[in-house]
Amino acid sequence: MKMHTLNTRVPQDLDPDLLDFLTTYVDSFIKWELLLFFHQNPNTFDTAEGIARYLGRDKEDVQDALSFLKAHGLLDEVVVGNMLAYVLKPNAELQDKVQKFTEATNDREFRRKAVYHLIRK
Amino acid sequence: MSYDTRIQTGITGFDTMLGGGYLPNTTNLIEGPPGCGKSTLGMQFIYHGAQQGEPGIILTFEALPETYYQMAAAFGWDFRRLEQEGLLKVIITSPEVTQIDLEHANGVLEHTIAQMDAKRILIDSVTHYESAMAHSPNAAPKSKVSLMARGTPAPGASEKFVERDRLYSFLNALKRQGMTTLLTRETTFLFGDEEGFSGGAGIHFIVDSYTMLRYVEIMSAVRRAIIVLKMRGSAHDSAIRQFEIDARGLVVMAPFEGQEGLMSGTPKRMAASFIKAFVRK
Ligand SMILES: Nc1ncnc2c1ncn2[C@@H]1O[C@H](COP(=O)(O)OP(=O)(O)OP(=O)(O)O)[C@@H](O)[C@H]1O
Ligand SMILES: [Mg+2]
Repeated sequence: MKMHTLNTRVPQDLDPDLLDFLTTYVDSFIKWELLLFFHQNPNTFDTAEGIARYLGRDKEDVQDALSFLKAHGLLDEVVVGNMLAYVLKPNAELQDKVQKFTEATNDREFRRKAVYHLIRK
Repeated sequence: MSYDTRIQTGITGFDTMLGGGYLPNTTNLIEGPPGCGKSTLGMQFIYHGAQQGEPGIILTFEALPETYYQMAAAFGWDFRRLEQEGLLKVIITSPEVTQIDLEHANGVLEHTIAQMDAKRILIDSVTHYESAMAHSPNAAPKSKVSLMARGTPAPGASEKFVERDRLYSFLNALKRQGMTTLLTRETTFLFGDEEGFSGGAGIHFIVDSYTMLRYVEIMSAVRRAIIVLKMRGSAHDSAIRQFEIDARGLVVMAPFEGQEGLMSGTPKRMAASFIKAFVRK
């Protein structure tokens, strides 16, 4: 019993679906921010540079995270002249997961656990 | 008469000033100083359309869509619900992306407009577009043909000429999509009698209508005033009217000569301050 209490460490006690989502898509704070950003601003259509400006983040970091989210089916990449722009990919199932994740992030305890999961990586 | 169908803004007094509303498939400029009510007027135009079942788009280059949901909510306009109903999209993008995307057939914006069957668009603000076009090497006009067709620009005028060409092609792309466009544009000076009027790339000449918002100081109180300076293909009210922003949005009052407050004051001085506010040096 005592051992168990000591071992009740995150992220083991995270909801399995959310843990799965975290593990698959959210392995950095930038990705977390981007997911929230696209969730709150679902009609975003912009380049890494533009999105980096909205987030106040480094352009290269944002570009890497955008490419990752594109590769994982969350975003679509659009060629615009000599630029690459990103839009949310219409995928009800994935959007539903993002929705659950963003709802969960309203909970302080979940955020604490998720942050722990992130920095432990 | 069908040729005189009007696109109402839903702001009763303003629609009256416009002779019933904007003409369909036109580009319309709203210019004014910070906080004067440009975005509110634009959102009201979009909201009114959506209520009539006309889908609309808000294109922003700076303020996040969330900001619009919040601003709109203050007036009881539920923009999130309109988005769910397919009557609205608040799109954040950059001027460079917009310019190039619109030049290509089947771009994201053209596709969105067609898919929504959008009729109205608010560009808030065109100021960002203008400054990006003035600085961006990326957003060169699609071809030089249109430039050549209008002759070679005079030496030194070429930059402004290219800027104007970009703006022209951007606004024309929206017209081609059958949109009635409302553009907001910032002026940095608060009152009309200050220096600093900037014509940019000549947007005032390109647009079909031009409305100015101003702060006006009357008897130590700051009021808001509105005037329609130009409207192609239509008669319009040339009077200066006072307006207020309340829980319903913009409320445009009768031409200011008829205002109660003016009767009790010194009309001559007030008329002078209105004129001063609108007449540029
Ligand atoms: N519910 C309300 N009732 C009364 N006034 C309001 C209300 N909501 C906003 N306002 C007023 O509307 C003004 C905001 O107008 P708006 O944002 O449309 O200006 P703007 O011209 O777009 O400004 P900017 O150049 O900064 O974008 C504020 O100054 C505020 O005083
Ligand atoms: Mg504004």
